[in-house]
Amino acid sequence: MSKHQVAMVMDLNKCLGCHTCSIACKRLWTRREGMDAMWWNSVNTMPGQGTPRNWEGMGGGFDSSGQPIPGHLPTYAEFGEAWEFEHEKVFFGGNPDATLLPLGDDPSWGPNWDEDVGAGEYPNSYYFYLPRICNHCTHPACMEACPRKAIIKRDEDGIVILNEDHCRGFRFCQEACPYKKIYFNTASRVSQKCIFCLPRIEKGVATACSRQCPGRVRFVGYLDDPEGPIHQLVYKYGVALPLHAEFGTEPNVFYVPPLSPPKFDENGIEVPGLRIPIEYLESLFGPKVKIALSTIEREMQRKRSGGTSDLMDLLISRRWLDMFKPFDKHPKDSTDVQPVKFFARGERK
Amino acid sequence: MRSQRVAAIENYMDAGAPSWSSVGAQSITMIPAPLPMQPNPYIQKSWKNRPYGLANQLFVACVHDGRRAAFRLRWHSASKTLAQGEDFPDGVAIALPVRGDPPLILMGTPDEPIHILLWQAGLPEPRSLLATGIGSSRSGPSVGASVHAHWADGRWALVVTRDLSSGVDIAPLEAGGATRVGFALWNGANKERAGIKAVSGDWTTLTLDR
Repeated sequence: MSKHQVAMVMDLNKCLGCHTCSIACKRLWTRREGMDAMWWNSVNTMPGQGTPRNWEGMGGGFDSSGQPIPGHLPTYAEFGEAWEFEHEKVFFGGNPDATLLPLGDDPSWGPNWDEDVGAGEYPNSYYFYLPRICNHCTHPACMEACPRKAIIKRDEDGIVILNEDHCRGFRFCQEACPYKKIYFNTASRVSQKCIFCLPRIEKGVATACSRQCPGRVRFVGYLDDPEGPIHQLVYKYGVALPLHAEFGTEPNVFYVPPLSPPKFDENGIEVPGLRIPIEYLESLFGPKVKIALSTIEREMQRKRSGGTSDLMDLLISRRWLDMFKPFDKHPKDSTDVQPVKFFARGERK
Repeated sequence: MRSQRVAAIENYMDAGAPSWSSVGAQSITMIPAPLPMQPNPYIQKSWKNRPYGLANQLFVACVHDGRRAAFRLRWHSASKTLAQGEDFPDGVAIALPVRGDPPLILMGTPDEPIHILLWQAGLPEPRSLLATGIGSSRSGPSVGASVHAHWADGRWALVVTRDLSSGVDIAPLEAGGATRVGFALWNGANKERAGIKAVSGDWTTLTLDR
């Protein structure tokens, strides 16, 4: 058991699917060779197949008796390849009217292919955005599948980290992760995944995905800090829920489920009922989603009627830095910061 | 197995070199590495009822010239799979005990390591590894290893060479000496990697001509 567990809560009522989080992570961590198609943070429209395509049906994780479930090894075609474009021609081709066109054959899948497709029938179609990272699980299926113990869970903060010096690219971890959030670098031939911005966390700086989010969707903190927002949202108010808890890995990323927009009849008149079917939300976030939604609605109503609500103040997040305590340092203000050095394989002795 | 002394190892660097025709090859029986010995329940469960390690014969011949030793290895492999993209490569490993009496099937122990020369199709150099148990292998000492590999007609043919040497953590190979040797094979097209492999069940004695 780790002494502390860093955790994240994402409020799906606020996510507008802008992907700033994905780009923040891409710019910081996955710009290097072999990482083109990696999205350690990804945002997908739900209902949808996401990335890798149909990851929810790819197995992995544990069954109800704690036994590992064999998983499918996702391919880059299933994740969605990184598309190439005619940048050289546009930048240097000398034609001021050139437009950016793709190179190669038309793709048939991408990491966000089914964006905004959603489900349901007009006028009651529905969807929401689901950002996902490695869940730094308390019972990581990836760690238990690695025959070389190249994956460890850190004692001091519960971050699950892959040691690339020990990794041989066997990819049992990729099969075993039920969230399919591990990638394989075909250049360096090791597996790679979200590190919860470990070098920033160690300096008291929140993850890049969280700080860059313009919607104030993401809370970062210690799950075990009773004063912190994570603990309160998860345990005190019960409004932050794990994704697919039945996978058995005890994820440490939690979601505040989305309230529905109004439902309409064929004349455009509002009718009662949840536009996002409760069964769908329960299939993602478990049986407590009903209570979580009614708690949120009750507290919203309280505020509307002029009352006070600690929960609403938490979720509204007027003071941005309160979302990240104690990781509220600015990257440039954390002391003795050195640029992170990336080593070529075998370079570090 | 005998490592015949020859005049110049340079004549044996290619598996197809005519010099090899006068060197007797030994057929090593290979068996799938036992599933109950895989190091964790995930691997045991996910490979249950999935065939692996089916290449049941490895033909090995060995020569040395007093400075370097060469192992010629040949086995049937219907497909040729290189370490590129998302593929798992075909591979072969030669294991030698470093000291004491390490159990081959356990890949050595902390006090009695084994040295491994690992070749993976598509990579230019074989890797030198030291193992002190299943799942423990780390970078090993330099033994001047090189490889020449060729696949044709459903068969791999390799020559792996290394220095005759001894020293700390180096599995000793010396003219006039005797040691033991073991092998492992991976069929990349069958997604074999790690302990999902064919192995020689136990050591084979290797004596080197003076």
